[in-house]
Amino acid sequence: MSTTTAQEIAPRRTLWSRLSVVVTLLVFCFSTVAGMGWLVLREIDDLSTANSDNLQWSLAQVDVEFLQLEVALLEAERDPSLLPVVRRRFDIFYSRMSTLERGEVFRDMRENPDYDAPRANVRDFLDATVPLIDGPPEDLRAALPDLAREVGALTDDVRELSLAGLTSFAELSDARRDEVTTTLLVMAAVLALLLAGLSLLALSFRRLYRLSELRARDLRQTGARMQTIVETSVDAIVVSDKTGRIVDVNGAAVCTFGYPKSELIGRSALETLFPADIQPILRDDAMAAVAEGRRPRADRRVFESVAVTRDGRRFPAEMSIDRAEDESEVVYVAFVRDISRRKAAEEGLTEARDKALAGEKAKAEFLAVMSHEMRTPLNGLLGTMQLMRDHDLTERQTELLDRMVSSGRLLLGLVNDVLDLSKFEAGKLTAERRPFEIQRLLDGVIETTASLAASNGNALSWQWVGPPGRAVLGDSRLLRQVLLNLVGNAVKFTRGGTIDIEVEQIGDGDNSIEFRVIDSGVGIADGNLDRIFNDFETLDSSYSRQTGGTGLGLGIARRLVGLMGGEIGVESELGEGSLFWIRIPLDPVEDRPTPIPARDATAGEPSETPPGLSVLLVEDNEINRFVAREMLEAEGHVVTEAVNGRAGVEWAEARHFDAILMDISMPVMDGQDAARAIRAGAGPSATTPIIAVTAHALPDEIAKFRAAGMDGCISKPVDRALLASTLRDLARGGHGIEPAPSPDSVPLLDEAQFDSLRATIGPAHMAELIDRFVDELDAAIAALAAERPGKPDLGPRAHRCAGSCATLGLAAMRSALGRIETAARTGAVSADDLIALGPLWRRSRAALVDRAGRASAEHGEGGGESD
Amino acid sequence: MTSLTRLALTSLVLTCALGPVPAAAQALPEPEGEVILTVTGAIETTNEGDAAAFDLDMLEALGPVTIRTTTIWTEGEQTFTGVPLVTLMEAVGAEGDVLSATAINDYAVEIPRDDWVEGGPIIAYLNNGSPMSVRDKGPLWVVYPFDDNTEYQTEVVYSRSIWQLDRIVVAE
Repeated sequence: MSTTTAQEIAPRRTLWSRLSVVVTLLVFCFSTVAGMGWLVLREIDDLSTANSDNLQWSLAQVDVEFLQLEVALLEAERDPSLLPVVRRRFDIFYSRMSTLERGEVFRDMRENPDYDAPRANVRDFLDATVPLIDGPPEDLRAALPDLAREVGALTDDVRELSLAGLTSFAELSDARRDEVTTTLLVMAAVLALLLAGLSLLALSFRRLYRLSELRARDLRQTGARMQTIVETSVDAIVVSDKTGRIVDVNGAAVCTFGYPKSELIGRSALETLFPADIQPILRDDAMAAVAEGRRPRADRRVFESVAVTRDGRRFPAEMSIDRAEDESEVVYVAFVRDISRRKAAEEGLTEARDKALAGEKAKAEFLAVMSHEMRTPLNGLLGTMQLMRDHDLTERQTELLDRMVSSGRLLLGLVNDVLDLSKFEAGKLTAERRPFEIQRLLDGVIETTASLAASNGNALSWQWVGPPGRAVLGDSRLLRQVLLNLVGNAVKFTRGGTIDIEVEQIGDGDNSIEFRVIDSGVGIADGNLDRIFNDFETLDSSYSRQTGGTGLGLGIARRLVGLMGGEIGVESELGEGSLFWIRIPLDPVEDRPTPIPARDATAGEPSETPPGLSVLLVEDNEINRFVAREMLEAEGHVVTEAVNGRAGVEWAEARHFDAILMDISMPVMDGQDAARAIRAGAGPSATTPIIAVTAHALPDEIAKFRAAGMDGCISKPVDRALLASTLRDLARGGHGIEPAPSPDSVPLLDEAQFDSLRATIGPAHMAELIDRFVDELDAAIAALAAERPGKPDLGPRAHRCAGSCATLGLAAMRSALGRIETAARTGAVSADDLIALGPLWRRSRAALVDRAGRASAEHGEGGGESD
Repeated sequence: MTSLTRLALTSLVLTCALGPVPAAAQALPEPEGEVILTVTGAIETTNEGDAAAFDLDMLEALGPVTIRTTTIWTEGEQTFTGVPLVTLMEAVGAEGDVLSATAINDYAVEIPRDDWVEGGPIIAYLNNGSPMSVRDKGPLWVVYPFDDNTEYQTEVVYSRSIWQLDRIVVAE
């Protein structure tokens, strides 16, 4: 917990500025005192080194000594024996005058004319008198009266001289006194300043003292508060010194770890609070910082570990550790929280979530499988109804059949919706980017929905708004599904009106294309506009019952549009009609040379085939059945389908067929049993040639087929030319039995086979076929790859997939699945083989989708039919 | 001091100097030339009765020193040669704490024993190498080494720098 906060920085700053003021003041005071001291010292120095003698005395002596000379002269006149006294007095006066003239202390005075003029007179007298004084006594004695007179005349000069000197010295003294006075005044001022400065200093110290007292009180309070916080913490708080020895713990730590506080203090935190097996981990990792005496890195300060109590209970602990240091010591503070309960709760949650997810997934898978499985019998029903039309039916029966067909189609639509939804939810749908042409796509949509629109009396058309677009990159399949849904809805809710599809490029940077489906139907109320894209939303239940639908259509459309990165929306006016729009980002395809479509050479020679063979097709796989049927019908044969061996036998006993194409692996009754049953029976087709259609035509198996009464064998994938020629042989009375040679190298996709199939069934059916095939194989291969090798139904399942793959020319897949099927018969399937299916399928699928994309780009094929 | 007294004293000194040599002379030789300094009072060594009289030769024989200093009474730096006061006082065996020095012009001053020290004042008889006449503050002048010791730059010391010195009385 940091005690340095932003609010404290401001006072600290003012404290600093105050301190600097104080320091400045002190410096000022000291320098003033020093300056003053220097001044005073100089003054004292001046005073102490007196450069003047007792001046007044000296000046007074001039007078005195002059008078003494005068007296000596007068006395010597009366008594000549006193001549030496005159000489002595003269010399003394002379000496005095010399001192006044030459002495340093009298220099100032000599510049005063009042002083200098009499001095010059005295000097003249002295100089004039020296020869007499130094001369013979007789001369001196004779000159005594003159000398006395001259001296008498000098009296005024001497007096003037001494007075002028005194005046001069008085002035000097005055000046000196003034100087001293000034100095003292300055000193007094400085002292006053100093006093003021000291007072300020004292004040500021007082403030500082109060401030620090306040701070100390704050610190005490903070300390007390911290103590309370630490003690009331639910988490255990452990404080250790820099060697990891515990120096303090709080009450929670005592409770958590079960040691009395006294026992904890001084012990190693690591060795006491953590189990032995955890200690090395902590020492190397989370607590390495403590051992290295540094601060833990920011991302290492909070971590989870396992701690142990005194009685050995281990518990998961969340820890937070950091280093606190000041000048005196370093401590590590650790918070330890017992998170047993949280951990338990987390585990419970995870488990619950996993269960829920598993349940959800199981449900989605169940839904997907159910939907898929429901389509097969439904297709059967619908197919059978179609067949019924070939029989003589009364008008009433035809009507009933129509209803059944319509109901069946409706049901198929619902199942497809649910399948789409569940696939979407399972995340199996992804948008592809393949080139396609919008023109062809929309032509296809119109073609598919035209009959429905016509039946409701609606006019259906589409046009470009603005410049028409070229080929674009996108997922034509998803787009078509969405458009079909929107057009389907428009058709459903419009009677005797118009349905227009407008397509417009909105190429402002993102190359989007907007599709608008505009109808003049019943429209949607404002309040419902938000709801219609929800799942299972049917606005008018009675109407929807009339028109049919799960209410999933727009929900799916919304998802698909989202998948393509686009937007969907609606504008509508109740009673006026609706406008559904979708805006999909579709990049234009760069122009590239269109490859010349390769014409497949495998197309047979239909003219040579006698038309009108009646063929019974016994095949459990819907796709294979569909394919074979298309091939046969293209050759002009009449095809009857049976979905398994038993159905085949029943058909064969009911009718005469010119030929029977018999799949080998089938549920309910397999091909060999069926062939035997047909041969054994006495039905109209008991002698009809039976041709085995198998993906695994091994020589010994072909022998078995013959034993079962079959006449020939063609291998999957069914080659159209081979099939045609086999049937031709049959028609001529021969039996074609030649297993197709297995290719040595196994390509992912046998393009010849693919092209042959495409040429046979047409591009529209081919696209649909591939869609369905991919859907089914996605699920089937995923299931197979995840299966355990010993599962008994592996063989049949692999067989079914192999058949589909063979039809579409996925040679590598077929071969891999064939190996699994063969191995399954001896129970020797390896898990590796199963797992390898996944990647192989993905590559195969890519090759297939790529080839299909190329084919549709080459031929510009689109369209088809859907719900 | 009245001029009469001064005259009397002067006469006395002159009388002593010209009078017969007293027999009480001990370690001090008799002055042969003109006596220029007479020391009396609390002294052990005398050569003329109770006094110690010195002529120039005797003073020169006491170990003269030369100091170099400026004074407030002269212009520029001067050299003074003379007998240190302390040497003289030792020579006369002075026992007092203070001496009273008197000049020809009757100026008188007391010099305490504290000043009778090595590096202290000298009794100069040569100024810039020449003897000093009475007109030039001679013949003897007590000079302190003012420049060497600033403590001597005081009024008191200046007043002790007596010139035209001719008598010293050492007080008990």
